[in-house]
Amino acid sequence: MTTLKVNGSEHAVRSSPDTPLLYVLRNELGIMTPKFGCGMAQCGACSVLLDGAEIRSCVTPISLAEGKDVTTVEGLPARWAKLHKRSKQDGGSTLHPVQEAWIEEQVPQCGICQFGMMIKVTELLEANPKPTDDEIKAALTTSGPSPHLCRCGSYAAILDGVHHAARLMARGDK
Amino acid sequence: MIAPDTLSIHGASLNRRSFLKTGGALIVALGVKPGEGGAASATSSLDATIPTSWIEINADNTLLIRTGKCDFGQSSIYTAYRQIVAEELDVPIDAITTVISGDTDRTPDGGGTFGLLRTNVLNLRKAAAYTREAALELAARELDVPRADLSVSDGKISGGGKSISYGALVSGKLFQLTIPVTGAVTDFGGLRVTGDPPLKPPAKYKVVGQPIKNPSLRPKMSGETVWVNDVKLPGMLHARVVHPATLGSKLLGAGTVDKQQFPTARVVVIGNLVGVVAEHEYEAVLAAYSVAGSTKWSEWKGLPGHEKLLEHLKKSAQSSEVSAVDGAKQGDAAAAAAAAAKTHSATYFMPYHKHAPISPTVSLADVKADGSVTLHTHSQNPQFLRLAIARMLGKPESAVVVRTYPGSGHYGRSNGGNAGSEDEAVLLSRAVGKPVRVQWMRPDDMQWSTQSPASMATVRISLDKGGRIQAYQADHCGPPMQDDRPIGAVLAGLPTMEAPSPTHPSPLHSTTLRIADRWVYGAIANVAEAGHGMYQVGQRESPINVGLRDHSMRTPIQFQQNFPREVAFSEAAALAGVDPIQFRIDHTDDERFKTLLARLYVESGWEKRPSPSPRAGATGTQVVRGQGVGIMWRDNGYWACACQIAVTPETGQVKVERLTVVVDLGVVVNPLQLKRQVQAGSLMGVSQALHEEVTFDEGAVTSDNWAAYPILTMAEMPAVKVVIAPRPEFGIYGQGSEGANACAASAIAAAFFDATGKPARRIPLKPDYVKAMLAT
Repeated sequence: MTTLKVNGSEHAVRSSPDTPLLYVLRNELGIMTPKFGCGMAQCGACSVLLDGAEIRSCVTPISLAEGKDVTTVEGLPARWAKLHKRSKQDGGSTLHPVQEAWIEEQVPQCGICQFGMMIKVTELLEANPKPTDDEIKAALTTSGPSPHLCRCGSYAAILDGVHHAARLMARGDK
Repeated sequence: MIAPDTLSIHGASLNRRSFLKTGGALIVALGVKPGEGGAASATSSLDATIPTSWIEINADNTLLIRTGKCDFGQSSIYTAYRQIVAEELDVPIDAITTVISGDTDRTPDGGGTFGLLRTNVLNLRKAAAYTREAALELAARELDVPRADLSVSDGKISGGGKSISYGALVSGKLFQLTIPVTGAVTDFGGLRVTGDPPLKPPAKYKVVGQPIKNPSLRPKMSGETVWVNDVKLPGMLHARVVHPATLGSKLLGAGTVDKQQFPTARVVVIGNLVGVVAEHEYEAVLAAYSVAGSTKWSEWKGLPGHEKLLEHLKKSAQSSEVSAVDGAKQGDAAAAAAAAAKTHSATYFMPYHKHAPISPTVSLADVKADGSVTLHTHSQNPQFLRLAIARMLGKPESAVVVRTYPGSGHYGRSNGGNAGSEDEAVLLSRAVGKPVRVQWMRPDDMQWSTQSPASMATVRISLDKGGRIQAYQADHCGPPMQDDRPIGAVLAGLPTMEAPSPTHPSPLHSTTLRIADRWVYGAIANVAEAGHGMYQVGQRESPINVGLRDHSMRTPIQFQQNFPREVAFSEAAALAGVDPIQFRIDHTDDERFKTLLARLYVESGWEKRPSPSPRAGATGTQVVRGQGVGIMWRDNGYWACACQIAVTPETGQVKVERLTVVVDLGVVVNPLQLKRQVQAGSLMGVSQALHEEVTFDEGAVTSDNWAAYPILTMAEMPAVKVVIAPRPEFGIYGQGSEGANACAASAIAAAFFDATGKPARRIPLKPDYVKAMLAT
């Protein structure tokens, strides 16, 4: 048994310790936003946060995630609420500002890569609340094991989305 | 006044079927004449008397629409389609609360998801127009006001001082409006709504033209949406397929599973199809790797290898197996060419491209003991897929239901129904008697899917002394556009449609190479274009009849033919000593292109001068810069694209710095969604121009992962400027990302010539090829 802490909840999972986190999240825990894209850490569709750092769940065995906080897109709203001591009762959106910005700017085309994109952008904005275009491009291209790939070509929309999310988050910080 | 039992509405018939105590509805059903087949035929699971209707109006004033088309990123069925229906009915857009799409048992019309705004939307638009007219007739009776005195606005029908909402009109009653259609639901194009109900003139549009947001994005981005990737069926097993070693290998002996290591895994063999099925997904993955290691395949070397592809195309084009067909033809091009003062003549080449969705294809099938099949997948043409599955199994179409879900982009790959995995899931489920989920791995998706066909063209442009074009001649050659045989069925040796051939019963699946690039230079007196088709590369040589299968992608065949035309045009402009945008204005007789190109000058920051640039250079470590242009006419849309690029000759690095697209699509249905589609489609085009080429050796595709088939990254993104220049007076909807996709490559290649003085007659402009181009 491996114990995983995902989006704030602890789960005892049956899969063997060398099973990639992606399969356990999706098949044992029913957490579906991390998507299978390549299984080789080449695309970023399966990205999750591990103690706040973006990793590729398709190549990360659960043994390496034990004792750490795993955050997926499902957990982003709670992560934002916790960071800002907010609750749903405070009103406003129940989504993370990055998710809101993605909707507001109509970022996705097919959308399959956007869960990984939003994870990476959350990591970026938590460390750098007002990134430049170049910093955004670097975060999504050279900072991880591979670029975050979008086949539809939504990169221009993503750039708009990150700046929009930065504005929402800055407002939320007040 | 009492409504009669049946009313005729512009050829549609309206019946009041019953009175209801609560609710009430008007449902718009399809009518198929006896003997015309289609939805009412015995082979269909659709029942025209149940709510598989196009449009439903409910007593609470909400509406539902159904379409056989799917969404995989265009947003059109959730935005443009709702806008167009709301416009024809004159209801608020938010009244259309539900869109049901794709599922073969829950949608009326079938057909492929492409050309969404070009022709396909006419079905729902006409259905809405019939519905409005029917409601007006009902209201005339209900209000006792002459029909001619009534009008609709904001969901209410008013006249003679009285008014009633759509909802109140149907309250307590159930009406069925049967509209005329033609065709069969499993035809490639599905059913077509016929007749001519009065359509609202574009000048009166209020909802069409608004930047409506896509309502499907919130549940997607929140994580609520169930994607095809996420579907779980009770008791399902996970499967991986061990595909053959090459595109021509036969199975000599399937490997076995080590039961101690993989206790629930088992191997299923059907002909040359080898599947590994297990209870747990990762167990299936590892067991399949293990089985693959011990499975024996015959050797096969029937492909030319990608380095020799151009030679292979040249040779195949000389064969007379497939008849040539003419494209644009005007005057006497050969005679005019013979009298030319100057001639530009060159050969252009485009490699195979992959659709390469981020998620490899995935499907789930549940084949019951009674032989009925439910297939859960993600398809551009679910009814055509249903037909293919029924054919594979030797069953009537009524035995098969296809349910669809959101998924990764298709880019044309499944517009003939299948992309891969669907048929394999069905066969494996049938074999094990349980629901089976087949997920292709990344190498499966890169090696065993279809590809966008390669092409070559010889273009000859003849100029007179004044630098005007006297004659344009082009010979386009390449493998066919479309092979819709499901690969699992082919491997299993089960029935499919035929592979592309000169005698294929479906013109779409013929080896004939039609000229798909619409001619735009009407001011040229002498023109001769021809298309020279050929068989798929390696298919006939393959003992399993596979080889390199082709499939349409984004702007199929048009991209392949537009690239050589436009790059040659820019080279000819240089030969004439004329600015390449001006050269195009001089040779088109279409006012819309002249207007568009004049706008491109302004919007793109174009430096008006002939190519090459006076600062051009082909050597050294200093960056050289250039500009290029390309234009295209597609789906009623006029496209013009300019690119500014930077080349480092020493390293062969090419960077696209700016991309400007100016587009006139007639009536723009949704400028917000269009902008996003054009931005994204253009960047996919930049990706193809800079990076993409399917590589293969003598047996197999070797570009089997993202390192071997790189696509554009965010850091490489140019500044993208989209200028929408609508011409609503033309009253036609043009459409988005398909056209945008093909515009960048020719502009980038022309910019390369401008920057370096060396022509780029092939893509991708990757460093090795660039260095070779610069060395000539």
